[in-house]
Amino acid sequence: MTYAIEVAGLRKSYGSVQAVRDVGFTVRFGEIVALLGPNGAGKTTTLEILEGFRDRDGGFTEVLGLDPGDRSSGRELRERIGLVLQDLAVEPYLTVRETIGRAAGYYLAPRPARQVIDMVGLAGQERRKVRALSGGQKRRLDLALGLIGNPELLFLDEPTTGFDVAARHDAWQLICRLRGEGTTILLTTHNLEEAQALADRVVVLSAGAVVAEGAPGAVGGRDAEHASISFALPDGYGVHDLPLPARAANGAVVVEASNTTQALLELTQWADRRGVVLAGLTVERPTLEDAYLHLTNQATSQGASADAPERTIR
Amino acid sequence: MITAAVTGLPARRHRTFGLLAHQFWYEQLSFWRNPQSAIFTFAFPVVFVTVIGALLSGGGRSSYFAGLSPLQYYVITIAALSVLGSCYGQLTVTLALRRQNGILKRVRATPLPAWAYFAGLLAHCALVSFIDVALIGAIGRLFGVPFPSSWFAIAVTLLLAAACFCGLGVGVASMIRNADAAPAVAQLVLFPLLFISGTYLPIHSQALNRVAGWLPVRPFNEALLGPLALHAGPDWKHLAVVAAWGCAGAVVGIWRFRWIPRSE
Repeated sequence: MTYAIEVAGLRKSYGSVQAVRDVGFTVRFGEIVALLGPNGAGKTTTLEILEGFRDRDGGFTEVLGLDPGDRSSGRELRERIGLVLQDLAVEPYLTVRETIGRAAGYYLAPRPARQVIDMVGLAGQERRKVRALSGGQKRRLDLALGLIGNPELLFLDEPTTGFDVAARHDAWQLICRLRGEGTTILLTTHNLEEAQALADRVVVLSAGAVVAEGAPGAVGGRDAEHASISFALPDGYGVHDLPLPARAANGAVVVEASNTTQALLELTQWADRRGVVLAGLTVERPTLEDAYLHLTNQATSQGASADAPERTIR
Repeated sequence: MITAAVTGLPARRHRTFGLLAHQFWYEQLSFWRNPQSAIFTFAFPVVFVTVIGALLSGGGRSSYFAGLSPLQYYVITIAALSVLGSCYGQLTVTLALRRQNGILKRVRATPLPAWAYFAGLLAHCALVSFIDVALIGAIGRLFGVPFPSSWFAIAVTLLLAAACFCGLGVGVASMIRNADAAPAVAQLVLFPLLFISGTYLPIHSQALNRVAGWLPVRPFNEALLGPLALHAGPDWKHLAVVAAWGCAGAVVGIWRFRWIPRSE
């Protein structure tokens, strides 16, 4: 068992809809991996197969050395993993304390309820009924239910949706703390800032397949790709006087450079020789969001063109 | 108290019992805290028997009511109806609803074994049935229906019937896709069955009785007749029909039961 999660060639269809056509990735022990992708990309299906909720049609899956599709080891697997699901689904008439106590009773070696309540920031709410909690508090309770079994591996399905900024940062701190304690985490999110802040690696899904994988700073060839250098054009000079091709945008000029260091050198030397300043000089690398949109658009349009001949035949 | 006992017990052999007690305890909390479910489950049979008692308490034994007084007859059929309501009716609706809003998925995400979850539900439904039947018997007594004496036969009959109607409930719940339709589907199946089984009025058609005799409700009414009104032992012949239906429901449940909402 080299990986906490290993997936290869995973396939799953619902009727004629192929939700997952070819998904493969690995998660090392102690790592945080974010699964990204637009709605319908196959994230939830992949997660549900790994959690043991759905059977796969084909491919290989191993979670903590166990096959999640094997019912005979299901109880052992669920003893060792924790799940934070998208919606809080617990009995509305139980209190926070009872809800956590109930779940704790299902595990052989749960975390103390008190500790979990403190970890997720629900101290002081223990006696309140679940139905009286605010949306954010319910999400915290959901997080608590994922942690109560003291899992080696935690699945977080959009863990901070519905959190305000402060609550989100609390949750991020908690997730980092869990990683510090050695918990492996696989999370899905639509918040790319969240993936950037938490994940060691991101896996981007589109139309049921993995389209990119890597560190959040490098995914989609981002570390090799060009940067945009922008500055205010010095008085008396035109765009064509610059040593590099540039375009005017929003009162500034923008140079798209594939080698940022070289481009900066050329620009600053040019300015130095003429004794002018490049006011407001900014270097912007494409964000994870740019890379993500690029990747998922590409995959969708490829999918569309692959479908096209079929349509003309009909 | 129970929580502490369960979480503090690492010993394996205590764990099975502890887990069941734990599950049973939290089912009770969820049920009794929800005023709607608690009132609905008990109010209907109690009101029904009270009204019938007030209307018919003077009636003597007649062949129309199978040799019983009208009230004696209704104490039996309403007792049976309350078991149907607290087992079959409650489970179909509760399970379909819990599946739809993700409570079942949440449960399935924990190491709690499926059998323990269902055993907890069964124990809960059986308890509610017992309370219902006791209430109905007590109200019947107020209107002069004698208390039964064969407690063992009553306990066996109720326990077996509760298990069987829970099995049927799980079976039907596993075929319902949309929780909004669950109460309607449950009633649609039950209502005609109650009528032809003589729950509301005695049936004197041979043909109808023969058909109803192979369905689950009439044999259960018959099985309650001996222990509740005639001081007889368990009526194994009729209970066997009920048990067969219970097993059929359980088989469908095991085969088709889903923990997660259907993905569209």
